[in-house]
Amino acid sequence: MSHNVPEELKYTKEHEWVAEASGIATVGITDFAQSSLGDIVFVELPEAGTELAAEATFGVVESIKSVSDLYSPLTGEVLERNDELEASPELLNSDPYQNWMLKIKISDTSQLDGLMNAADYSAHCEGQS
Amino acid sequence: MNQRTLLYDKHVELGAKMVPFGGFELPIQYGSVKEEALAVRNQCGMFDVSHMGEFYLEGPGAVEFVDHIITNDFAGAETAKAVYSPLCREDGTVIDDLIAYKLGPQKVGICVNAANIEKDWQWISARAEELSSRFEFKIRNQSGDYNLLAVQGPKTESIFKELGLIDDSEFDYYRVRARTYKGLDILVARTGYTGEDGFEVFIPGDGILALWDDLIGAGVRPCGLAARDVLRLEVCYPLYGHELGDHLTPYDANLKWTVKMAKPDFIGKNSLEGYTSKYRLVKLSLEKGIPREGYKILNGDEQEIGVVTSGTMSVTLGKGICMGLVERSRFPESKKFKIAVRKNNFEATYHAKAFVTGGHK
Repeated sequence: MSHNVPEELKYTKEHEWVAEASGIATVGITDFAQSSLGDIVFVELPEAGTELAAEATFGVVESIKSVSDLYSPLTGEVLERNDELEASPELLNSDPYQNWMLKIKISDTSQLDGLMNAADYSAHCEGQS
Repeated sequence: MNQRTLLYDKHVELGAKMVPFGGFELPIQYGSVKEEALAVRNQCGMFDVSHMGEFYLEGPGAVEFVDHIITNDFAGAETAKAVYSPLCREDGTVIDDLIAYKLGPQKVGICVNAANIEKDWQWISARAEELSSRFEFKIRNQSGDYNLLAVQGPKTESIFKELGLIDDSEFDYYRVRARTYKGLDILVARTGYTGEDGFEVFIPGDGILALWDDLIGAGVRPCGLAARDVLRLEVCYPLYGHELGDHLTPYDANLKWTVKMAKPDFIGKNSLEGYTSKYRLVKLSLEKGIPREGYKILNGDEQEIGVVTSGTMSVTLGKGICMGLVERSRFPESKKFKIAVRKNNFEATYHAKAFVTGGHK
């Protein structure tokens, strides 16, 4: 199964992507994730102000058949969530990189070093498909 | 080790995601579950249900025997009729739910759930043995000899006529016909589990491969288990292992209509006579969130009164729907329900009727 893994992003083993700029992380799910889930019909995300811990669950994404937890790639505070996804969760299927989920103010930028680059993430997906 | 159906390679070629189900490896979806389910509601879709079990009974006592072991009326059904029924123990609990086909005055076919083939076979063959002085017939487990394809949706009838699977003569809902197809003796039944009009075809050996290709050629969309589950849940058909189980009676699953107390005698009759069910099967929907199996059902005061037995996102309604068992003694007269979805207790809408009315005849 071929899927899109943009070079410039960082990734978690739980199939979230992270784009970092000025200490703020934009977070979403990868193309591999949306494709494995199939039709995404529901997304539950935390409100702005919520404190997230790296690797702890922060929400869920549901397909018709299944519920999957979302794991925070980093420790930090939610600055913004993409409310468009509540009404139109299928946007995650059509473009998972354009349709981000959260913007997080990163507490410890050194955690970024623990995330995978595109090549490592591609290899990780290879092992799961 | 899970078994594979004859169509396994075709499923994989079509890009299906295969999952274990009832001891078989089956397609859960080929692509979009939503598109597959909507194909059945609006056009035509097909399901490989070869994993289901088939038993055949033949002899002067076959019909009376089946009437004795199931709760619904089979003796009174006309020849060529299909009858849906629970199969119960003496204590009224459900071993399985099945469809019995009256193939002739002395010939019966029974179709059972894959996961229950062994359990059903043991139960039914033991009763056959025990009651052999009363009912004279032979019974065979032909689950491995026959394959089954369910073709469902409003366009199925015209496609079946085009392919010569049925002719122009009258063919009512829940009827079965013996037909020939490419030299093979097949059974075509106007049954299914989606709420739509459609047929199920019992076909021996590898005849199913050519049938599958012909149906693909006619534009029928292959559909997986996920779409099948959404479709049956939208029309509120119970599924064994969810709304039905070894600890439940037909009355717990709103199946009183399938228990015919007017019959002189059947297994479970004494226990079910005057029995009040422990549970009530409810149909609930959510405006926000999706109810899932195992989620708690609460009353308006947020006290736990039951559990969701099947839940999904309805592709037809675009909202979360479920069935669930609520303790009869705690059923709220106000009909105010909530469902605990993770940290939230969402208000649920109570439905007296099925979420979707299928288009079956």
